[in-house]
Formats: sequence, structure tokens, C-alpha cells
Amino acid sequence: MSKRLTLLPGIALILILFLIPVGIVFQQGLFDPAFTIEHFTRFATRGAYMRIFWNTLQVSAVVALACLLIGYPIAYFIVRQPTARRPFLMFLVLVPMWMSILARTYAWMVVLGKEGIINQTLIALGIIDTPIQMLFTTGAVYVGMVQIMLPILIVTCFSSMTEIDQSLLRAARIMGASPRKAFREVFLPLSAEGAITGTLIVFILSMGFFIVPALIGGRKDTMMANVISGQVSQTNWGFAAALAIVLLAATLLILTLVRGASAKLVHHHEEAH
Amino acid sequence: MKLTKTLTAFTLGATMAASAAFAEGTLTYAGSGGGLAQVMKGVFDDPFTAETGIAVNALATSDRASALKAMQVAGKVTWDVTELNPIEYATASLSGWLAPLDWSVMDPNNALPDDAKLADAGIAATFSTVMAVRTDKLPEGKQMTSWADFWNVEGFPGGRALQNQPIDNLEFALIADGVAPADVYTVLATEEGQDRAFAKLDEIKPHIAVWWTAGAQPVQMLSDGEVAYTSAWNGRIAKLAAEGVPVTINWNGGGIKASYVAIVKGSENVEAGQKYISFMMTSPERAAQFASMVPYPGMVKGLYDHIPAEKGTMMPTHPNNVGDQFVTNALFWGKNLGPLKERWEDWILE
Repeated sequence: MSKRLTLLPGIALILILFLIPVGIVFQQGLFDPAFTIEHFTRFATRGAYMRIFWNTLQVSAVVALACLLIGYPIAYFIVRQPTARRPFLMFLVLVPMWMSILARTYAWMVVLGKEGIINQTLIALGIIDTPIQMLFTTGAVYVGMVQIMLPILIVTCFSSMTEIDQSLLRAARIMGASPRKAFREVFLPLSAEGAITGTLIVFILSMGFFIVPALIGGRKDTMMANVISGQVSQTNWGFAAALAIVLLAATLLILTLVRGASAKLVHHHEEAH
Repeated sequence: MKLTKTLTAFTLGATMAASAAFAEGTLTYAGSGGGLAQVMKGVFDDPFTAETGIAVNALATSDRASALKAMQVAGKVTWDVTELNPIEYATASLSGWLAPLDWSVMDPNNALPDDAKLADAGIAATFSTVMAVRTDKLPEGKQMTSWADFWNVEGFPGGRALQNQPIDNLEFALIADGVAPADVYTVLATEEGQDRAFAKLDEIKPHIAVWWTAGAQPVQMLSDGEVAYTSAWNGRIAKLAAEGVPVTINWNGGGIKASYVAIVKGSENVEAGQKYISFMMTSPERAAQFASMVPYPGMVKGLYDHIPAEKGTMMPTHPNNVGDQFVTNALFWGKNLGPLKERWEDWILE
């Protein structure tokens, strides 16, 4: 009972700071002033918005998976280091997060630009004659977003990996498992939940991104948040709210699906043993 | 001597500001913050406080139309005087969120032209979306002098950029297609005129490397050599040129825009607000002092008599430049932005 009581302030805080504003967003999107689905039909019937919506999903999924593929091995590498060395390596991972996203995005212009570092190096080395168009492409958006999101995935993976009892791995080895098999059968399943959580966090955050696509993307790299911000400043709050609801609903749906699928997977794995 | 004067003004201003908060009240001004607010403090706010005893509380704001809507919906007005860009002004004015101004009190000596005195706002500053050209990237012996040249990708090879929005670009396209700047909005008001503008934009679309979204981008891209020709805001290009980048402004076909100041409907400081707007707008000396620090000049008569020629010619309302440009029609865009923006989003994603 007392345990529940101590939860009360937290619940009240969430209620006031989260549920009420979200409720107002729903009210804005659905009432104008009478109940209407006009904003949602506008979203569904205009080609541009659906295209932007699919683009947002696709970019977020690619960024999340890329972060997983790059970040998981890095987290694994750090966990395998002597305990005394880990804080310094984690510090290096976290340093970029202290810099503003805006400044880092502008920095990519210097790196990827036509007269940027990469192009100038390639030209100086005689590998290419004319500069490659790297800036203002979808690829640039992926690079910029992965760079920003990577620390989040590494931290999530790392913290779940540190909780794994290393003696389990030793036990597997003693029982005759090869290092690869010990990793696959013991470490991977135990760290899977953290990796999935990290990937989902990156996915959710990516769904709301707009600085990177706006600054270093091409003309087709518009995301939902760019449109929402534009609609808010044009004072079309109802439509902006409807777009936000669509974004929220899609994110929650995907979250539930992936969570369900991964729970089954982990459960299945446990049963197999 | 001048320094002493400034210092006295500052000290006086500061002292007055401290006491004025009690004596005469405070005026809340919703501005853009940053460097602009610093300049305004020195040129307008502190001398105003020294003269009237009214303190000015300058806020750094953005998305002002949205903020004004929120204030009117909530019935709690927290700004007295606000700065507005053309679209914000059109939205606020058409929605009735601005208080009427009494220009007979604010400008009794007619220091301002009638164009600067609107029923619910004053034009405090002007800027222009112009064509910026990297002169070292031009073909030998050629000058880019018009939007038709900008569209001529064979005669003028090189990377190009435009802003990712319908405002300005539809006008530029029509001008490139031979419409006289004065007729642009008559043409654009018709369905055929809009089709014509988009058809002209179709021609240039494959050659636009970047559709920029933030005012700092064209500046960055010009200085990095990412593009050779782009639309940009005049003040930023003047600054870039002053930093030694070989870049020049082509005023021909530029879109002059106003920065408006208005009193928010429901403000309790209407009288003080009017005094402040009048103080800001009606003195040519002060306006010149402001414009020589920020190249966004006001409309007061005789302004250029107080500005050296080499600075003046970098400004949009200078007699040399003003005739070549068109004035962006805020009310047209206030009414038509919604559908044209949707069409633009469709078009840009194609």
C-alpha cells in the first residue's frame, strides 16, 4: 500500500505535464469547434502528407537499424574492456552530446560539402575529378542523424550489458562452447532486450526530428516534424494537432508491435533451452 | 565627446529604467533578440527610457502569429508592442489581433510617408529577398543581372539554390517568364498565373542543388562555394561581402518586405506603445544610426541624407535599388499561403 502511495507524486506529475497537454492536442485536432475529421481527411487525401509520413517512417527505421548495427559492437567492445578503462571510453561516446545538434549539423556541411574536407581530399588524391554531391541528399540526413543518435543507443546497450553476469560466459566456455557460440547463445539473448530498447528509443526520437533533414537534406527529405512546425507557425493548429496525433499513434503502434514481437522472440528463446 | 554623451545617455537610461519601472511602467516589446536587440537597445530603447521614463522590456521571440493567437484565445495579453514579419502581420491583421494606431498623435509632422503608416501597424524596417551572386564563379566577362539569367542554366553554369517556400519563388518565376514586377500579383491572383509560375519553376527545379530553409544557409553555401547563385536576405549578403567573400547583390527583381511593429489588441499600454513606435520610426537621425548598424532601413523621409553612400547602396530602399524590386504583397500571401503552400509541398516532393 505504502509503495503505491509513494508513486502518487510521480503519477500526478505525469498527469499534469504529459496527459493534459496531449489531451489538448487531441481536442485541437478533433474539434474545430465542433467535432470534425476534416484535418485527418486532409492528411489522408493530399499526396504530399502521406508521402512525408512514409518518408518519416522509413528514415526513422533506417537510422534506428544503422545505430543498432554500429552501436551494439561499440557497446560490446567497451564492456569487454577492463572496468577501470570503461568510464573514459563512455566519456568519449558522450562528448558529442554536449554540443548543440544545430552546430553539429552545420559542421557536416563543412565535411560533406562540394568544397568540403572529403571532396577536397579525394580530388587531391586524384581519386575523383569533379566533386561528389554528398550534401543535401538523403544519405547526408542518415549520416547526420546516426551521428546524433548513436550515443543514445550505445549507452542503452552498455547499461544492459554491464548487468550481464560475466561468469555465465565463462561457464559456457568451460562447458565447451566456442567463443562465438558463447556469445550467440548466452550474451546475445541477455543483451537483446537492451538493444531492442535502445533501437526503439532511437526510432521514437527520429520520428520527431526536423533540424537535420531541414539543413542537410535534399528537397524530398521533409519529415513530419517539419510540416508540423510549419503549420503551427501558420496558426493552423487544428491541422498541426492532427498531424501530431498521426505521428504519435503510428509511433505507439510500431512500439507495441515491436515490443510484442521481441517478447515472443525472447520467450521463445528461453523455451528452447 | 561623443563617448561621454553615449555614456551619459546609458547611465541616465539605466538609472531611469530602474526608477521608471515604478514611476511610468514598463513596455513589453516582442522582438527577435540576438544582435538586433543589442542594436535596438542602444539606438531606441535606452534613449526612449531616458526621454519618457518608460522602461522597455525586450523579449526574444519567434512564431509570433502563433503566440498572438494563443494570447487572444487565452484572453491574457502579455506583449504590448510586437515586431511582425509580412505573413505574421497579414495573419494578425486579418484575424483582428492588433490595436488601431492613431498616426495624428504618433507622427504629427508627417515625417513618414503614408505607405509606412497602416491602420494597425507601422513599417519599422525593410529587407529584401535578393539574388546573391558569387562573382568569381561567373562565366568570363558576364554579369548575372536578372531572374531570366538565373533561369538560363546554359549561359550561367553553376550550382543554384532557392528558399523552400512558395513566397518569393512564384514571383521570381513570373518575372523570369517576362511578367513586369508591377504586375506580378495581378497574374498570381489567377489560377492560370499560378500554373504559369509553377511551370516556370519546373524548368529550374532539376538545377536547384539546395532548397534552403534557414537564413544562414545561403550565406554558408555561398562562402563554402556549394552554390554560385542563390536567393538570400540582403543584410546577410552585405555582411558576407564585408568579410571579403567575392559576392554581390543583384537588386533587379528582389522582393522588398516590411518588418512591421504593432500594438497587440488588449494591451494595457497603448499610449506608451504608440510613443515607443513613434520614437522608433519618426527620427531620420536615429533611423540612420540604426540602419548603418543593421542594413534594414526604416521608411522615414530624408533617411539617406544621414547615411554614407557606400553603405546606403547596400540597402533595399536606397533610390538606386528600390525601383528594380517589387514589394512583397503581405495581404496576398496572408490570404493565399495555405493552398499555395500545399501545392508547393506537393510540387517539391515530385
